[in-house]
Amino acid sequence: MISATPAARNRRYGLRQACRAERAKLFSIRSTWWTLFVTVVGTLVVTTLSTSSAAHHGRGWYQGFDPTNQSMSGLAIGALAIGVLGALVFTSEYGSGTIRSSMAATPRRLRFLLAKLIVVGAVALAVGEVLTFSCFALGHAVLGSSPVPSWSLTDPGVLRAVVGSGLTIGLLGLMGAAIGAAVRRTAGAIGIYVALLFLLPLLLTKMPGNLARFTPLIIIANSIAAVVRQQGFVSPAVGFVLFACYTVAIVLLGAVVVTRRDP
Amino acid sequence: MSSVISVHSLTKQFGDQTAVSDLSFEVVPGVVTGFLGPNGSGKSTTMQMIMGLDTPTSGTALVNGKPYRELSWPLREVGALLDAKAFHPARTAYNHLRYLAYTNDVPLARVDELLGTVGLTDVANKRAGKFSLGMGQRLGIAGALLGDPGVLLFDEPVNGLDPEGIRWVRNLLRGLAAEGRTVFVSSHLISEMALTADRLVVIGRGALIADTTVRDFTALNGGDAVRVVTPDVESFVAAVRRAGGEVELAPDDSVAVRGMTSAAVGELIASERLIVHELTPVRASLEDAFMELTRDAVEYRSGGSTEAALVGSGGEGEL
Repeated sequence: MISATPAARNRRYGLRQACRAERAKLFSIRSTWWTLFVTVVGTLVVTTLSTSSAAHHGRGWYQGFDPTNQSMSGLAIGALAIGVLGALVFTSEYGSGTIRSSMAATPRRLRFLLAKLIVVGAVALAVGEVLTFSCFALGHAVLGSSPVPSWSLTDPGVLRAVVGSGLTIGLLGLMGAAIGAAVRRTAGAIGIYVALLFLLPLLLTKMPGNLARFTPLIIIANSIAAVVRQQGFVSPAVGFVLFACYTVAIVLLGAVVVTRRDP
Repeated sequence: MSSVISVHSLTKQFGDQTAVSDLSFEVVPGVVTGFLGPNGSGKSTTMQMIMGLDTPTSGTALVNGKPYRELSWPLREVGALLDAKAFHPARTAYNHLRYLAYTNDVPLARVDELLGTVGLTDVANKRAGKFSLGMGQRLGIAGALLGDPGVLLFDEPVNGLDPEGIRWVRNLLRGLAAEGRTVFVSSHLISEMALTADRLVVIGRGALIADTTVRDFTALNGGDAVRVVTPDVESFVAAVRRAGGEVELAPDDSVAVRGMTSAAVGELIASERLIVHELTPVRASLEDAFMELTRDAVEYRSGGSTEAALVGSGGEGEL
């Protein structure tokens, strides 16, 4: 039998070991890098296009214009791709049979789930923050010569919008992962995730009650990433609370499935 | 030594289908224990339950006295090859073993060592999806041995291996047992088990049929016989019956004699002045014994339910 290092003796495997393994797993398949590439490049391209279309107008055009919000518009692509990354963290294991190797090595299922969520959540959060700050810088570069209202990070609401938008990308990574844990199949998980982000608000706008404003992507676009408060949408604070609640609910669902249903 | 697998009244139902039914057995260290049964008899499900991957409907499966999920360092106590494809096709062999090593604080040097042991060093940085079934099995075996565990489970380890690979696995299993480890290996190939295993746990339709040694299993079920070819079958059969032996006519017109040694048969032939062309002692094969036992199990079940009988005969055909 292998002799453990003295420090490791009498202990049992824990979250630290599981997280380390999950990190190694995540970055040792090519699809992770592709998904991250699409997340970053897609977001920056859309932000470039969107801010360019808003550049070089007359002073009057910028009445009530929200340059921060305009710069974050690429996040729609990032939001989609980061959810796919999250979903793949589970579905790639269930799809390939790796799940049996992994669960034999880390048989406590909640610990296994938690490690995956910690790793993918941390990666998504880091990518999200890098992205939102990059979008902010990109927006400044594109809109710099246009007569836009002042929008430095020290202006009220700007930093909150930038940091907050990055945070939602982190939470979307968790949502994608939890949906993947619950559904197990890549196509199904991505389908549900896309429906939640894009289809649900489309459906709800056709219905009375303006319920679309409570859906995740609308919360990001019109509440959290907005510095200029827009009519008919929830406040940033309410948006954050709702977003967190959605994440917790979906993660709990994933946890129930992972612990109750055998691989 | 206390490294054992202990299965007690284990039952697993999928809907109204019973995959494993009230199964109890122990696996002891130092020998290879074969887990024998036709395809679909519940071997894999039982192993999955021992590994904590399937939750039993009732009963318990303990490893080293604990349910698998409560082991402190699972990979250092139990190694398993349950599925030839239990890795991600896009991940390299090295990275697969590396993440497994991380889960249980196994030193990374052990990964390189095992890649050498299973002969995958040259393809360590190739994506495992490009591997043949045999190479996949080798990677799975490396994963099982990673934590240097005292208990090892192998589910159909020789599937997809070439003759050289089969011999390598056979020697590996026997070597691991000789080191005092507990080795539990499933197979639907009776001949393979005859060569590899010392003890046998035989199941059919999810229920225990036999828990014995390979030697006792063949001796008890079927037993030895003496094959005789004679031009005068009628007189010979009459003589054997008078001497208290049992006869069975084979399709090729030879006669199988049971209950008498070959010496006794020879003496009988001499005293009766019979002409005999051939007299051969026949050792019952493990296969015959197995067929006989599973047939009994099928007949027993057919009394209760027609459906079981139909499914049972189908399962027997797969052998």
